[in-house]
Amino acid sequence: MEHNTTPQSPNESDNQKGSSRRDFLKNIGLAGVGVATGAAALYSGHVFEAKKEVSGDQKVLLTQDGKLVQVDSLEIKALEKSGESLQDSLSREGIPGRRWVMVTDLSKCRNARKCITACQDVHQLRPEQYHMNTLQMQDTPGTAPYNMPKNCQHCDNPPCVSVCPVDATYKRPDGIVLIENNRCIGCRFCMAACPYSARIFNWIEPKDAASHEGQEYSAELNVPQKMGTISKCLFSADRLREGKLPYCVEACPNGVYYFGDQNEDAVTNGTTKETVRLSKLLRDNGAYQLMPELGTKPRVYYLPPKNRLFPFEEATDATPEKA
Amino acid sequence: MRFKNLLIIIFICSVGTRVAAQTWIVPDDQKAVVAPVKFTPDMQKQGEQLYSKNCQSCHGNMGKDNWAKLTPPPGDLAKDKAQKQTDGEIFYRITTGKIPMPEFRNILSEDERWSLIAFMRSFNPKYVQPNPVAKAAFTGRIVTLAMQYSDPMKKVLVTATEQLKDGQKGLASGVEVMLFVKRYFGKMQVGDIKTTNAKGEAAFEFPADLPGNKEGYVELTATVNDPKSVMMTTPANANLAIGVPTDKPSLTATRAWWSTRANAPVWILLTYTLSVLIVWGFIGYIVMSILRIKKLSKGDA
Amino acid sequence: MTMDDNKLTIDKITADLTHHIRINKGFLLWMGFLTVSLLICLYAYSLQLRNGLGVAGIRDFVTWGMYLSNFVFFVAASLIGMLISAVLGLIGMKWLTPITRIAETIAVAFAAVAGLVIVSDMGRPERLAYVFIYGRPQSPILWDVTVITTYFVLSLLLLFLPMIADMAIIHRKVASLPSWLKPIYKTLSLNFTDQPEQNKIISRSIRILLILLIPAALSIHTVTSWLFAVTSRAGWDSTVFGPYFVSGAFVAGSAAVIIAMYFFRKNYKLQDYLTDLHFNNMGKVLATVSLVYLYFNINEFLVPGYKLKRADAVHLQELFAGKDALMFWLVQIGGLILPILFLLFRRFRKPGPVLLISIAVLIGAWFKRYLIVIPTQEHPFLPIQHVPANFMHYSPTLIETLISVAPFILVLIIITLISKFFPVIPLHETAVEKGIDHIKFD
Repeated sequence: MEHNTTPQSPNESDNQKGSSRRDFLKNIGLAGVGVATGAAALYSGHVFEAKKEVSGDQKVLLTQDGKLVQVDSLEIKALEKSGESLQDSLSREGIPGRRWVMVTDLSKCRNARKCITACQDVHQLRPEQYHMNTLQMQDTPGTAPYNMPKNCQHCDNPPCVSVCPVDATYKRPDGIVLIENNRCIGCRFCMAACPYSARIFNWIEPKDAASHEGQEYSAELNVPQKMGTISKCLFSADRLREGKLPYCVEACPNGVYYFGDQNEDAVTNGTTKETVRLSKLLRDNGAYQLMPELGTKPRVYYLPPKNRLFPFEEATDATPEKA
Repeated sequence: MRFKNLLIIIFICSVGTRVAAQTWIVPDDQKAVVAPVKFTPDMQKQGEQLYSKNCQSCHGNMGKDNWAKLTPPPGDLAKDKAQKQTDGEIFYRITTGKIPMPEFRNILSEDERWSLIAFMRSFNPKYVQPNPVAKAAFTGRIVTLAMQYSDPMKKVLVTATEQLKDGQKGLASGVEVMLFVKRYFGKMQVGDIKTTNAKGEAAFEFPADLPGNKEGYVELTATVNDPKSVMMTTPANANLAIGVPTDKPSLTATRAWWSTRANAPVWILLTYTLSVLIVWGFIGYIVMSILRIKKLSKGDA
Repeated sequence: MTMDDNKLTIDKITADLTHHIRINKGFLLWMGFLTVSLLICLYAYSLQLRNGLGVAGIRDFVTWGMYLSNFVFFVAASLIGMLISAVLGLIGMKWLTPITRIAETIAVAFAAVAGLVIVSDMGRPERLAYVFIYGRPQSPILWDVTVITTYFVLSLLLLFLPMIADMAIIHRKVASLPSWLKPIYKTLSLNFTDQPEQNKIISRSIRILLILLIPAALSIHTVTSWLFAVTSRAGWDSTVFGPYFVSGAFVAGSAAVIIAMYFFRKNYKLQDYLTDLHFNNMGKVLATVSLVYLYFNINEFLVPGYKLKRADAVHLQELFAGKDALMFWLVQIGGLILPILFLLFRRFRKPGPVLLISIAVLIGAWFKRYLIVIPTQEHPFLPIQHVPANFMHYSPTLIETLISVAPFILVLIIITLISKFFPVIPLHETAVEKGIDHIKFD
């Protein structure tokens, strides 16, 4: 992508002019490096803009997961990538036309922690590593305590993505914030920037690292985990591609989670599999979001812990051992 | 205070164990129900897909004993405890559900439920399928639904017809009908259950603000509400342009702080690039000047 | 002044300022000590490379620990080059001449090492090049990397340019120079022969550098403060973080320069050049920048402390009266308020007392960065639950401490080498200022 504009050194026969000519070439070379950097930045911007052009000529193609899709002929490119980068670009594009949204009904949560273990099992996480964690909350000393499952909020204005120095974490067109752990440099700026403490880091060799050795990284599953890189909730992007609900949503025995596509205005309960109007669910239950004042625009809604089905109990589960 | 908590806990435990202890009784007539067709490999394949989507999260992988730790335990469906039930018992349990098991009456069609049983039975080498009893022998009402959009009424009109005893077709009144619209993870019910009138019609008001696809099409399904399975029904499907055409832009369409490098706000790209170029241009100039110092002394010598 | 006086003076100045350029036992012992210490620290780092950042005390909540506060400290200390050379130099404070090179040396050493400190905090140091290949111009980290590199190069040039004439003088006039050093000095002197054209180039280049240095230096510490201020966390979410960090950096840097001045004066016998006047003036500079820093401290704590928004209240409670209170008050009183009070009196601006004050200030400055970086992360917006106890409170491990000591050793090595093989005090400039107009270069 970088265009090196440094001219090839010609076979200079004129010795008298040689030195000044060399200086000139040095100057050009220096300027060239600078211009190339700028040009690369501007070019990458241009590529993005160019993508928006359409020819109007639609072609029907078969996707990898067996669906027929219509694509503008300008957008069709021969695959020159393979393996990891193909996987990477698929992960970055997301599922077209969707805006994933999660609704967590706090009135139903009784800290069964099935969502957590289901998530940890598939994402190669240790017991103290959480993509999803149920917190025992009490907003102010006078108010009632409640259980609050907390995962990545997949913000539409994600502070974590803003600060990433290398495009290793990114927001997809369908709203999911993912991590490319082959790119992550482990600076942990995203962890510092996230107000929801949603991100975790592989401080040591990940769990069962040996059994995942050589496995190709899937950004949609975030497996295999790699030491020295970030991990976090991904709304089970791999499951969504198959039309299935996220792991945590399906694992909940108490009907806490709803998940769906905001563009369809519908969410499906992971326990009862009942599909309901998203807008009605939010309106009827006085839904809210976590710390909306921070302007992060989360994609997770909470239904308040009123008319609770279960009395609140202090969590008695054993705290994971020192790690 | 502590005593009160203790009481609450005891209460919960006792309720919990009682729920678990309650047996799940299937009526005898339902136990005797058999599949309408002979199980085929195709049905088993369909059943396998349905199983992984709807059942596996609790029951685990067939034969692996890795079911979810719930109360009461869901159990492994490949094992004897599940397999010694009759097909009718299994069918009834899938259909009606019992907390925490969901009821699949409205989630899976009858055929799909039978496919699941076909899949489940494929793990039992001893299983011999009883002779299928075709639904034709069925004595209840045989209802077929049809669906269309009525422009003047601005309603979805579901018409029920039934096969009469004399072999003629007639309009079916008094049939409870439900309307569903397809969404990404399942079917969403539209409005309440309606009962067909004397003309066999049930009219559903379709919400004016429900999103459809880009052209406004929504996939609709009308089914008969028949919790006791006393009828033989054929649902109606239709793809109607009555939703709100929805083509929301991608969430990454704008340039923002959080976008990728290629999609960074133009002013940031320009400011950064220009600042670097200017400062490093000066640095380059100074390095060149320093090299000139050396040349200047030659004349002196 | 007669010609003879002139000649005597330049010879004396040259001898005074270069007599330390030789390899003696003390130097070898000192370097040997530094090298062995560095190797021990590098072994600790190799453990971290192999076993991951988990060998340090940082975990998922306090994710930036001593490495990062160390980084902030190093960036801070490097800023002094800009204050002494550019700000005070451009104003035209003549008394600064003997101090400029010390300040630039400190700037170069700390800026160079700051880059390495941040690598020690990376989970994937082998991917450092990704910052340049895939760098996002929206990320303050890219800005930080860019401005630190730029500031380092600017400081290096500013260290080198005034040295050209010195090299020319030394390789001609110093007979005792080790033979292997001579060609090096000759090369570095760029055949400088005091031509008007040459002097013009040098002074013009220095002027351009001094002007560039001001925005570059302000940027490095402002951008470093933004690594924190662009987040929403209590204690970091502040609009005065830029000037707060910059003024704090001047405090740390001035103290570092005073300490260096003291040791060079004593070890290299420079009493005639680094006089009590210089210590007195640097004491005043330290007092002034400390007052500015105190002003920003008051802003930084009084304003949120007045409102006591929920998260701020928890944070300030921990600092003022909680777990971090002892360290906080030691730093604020011992490292800031008391030094200001003492430095108001002339007798505490003598070399000895001002050295002790500077040491207190510098230690305070290091712990101050610790207090800026760590306590905030111990109180995120949402509670820390269901994690092992060592996730809740940060305490540095031995390996982490060793890895954090390494950059100090590196800085000492760099400063030792530069000061050992080059005049600590600008030779040519001093000569010119003493009225020696023309030095014979033949």
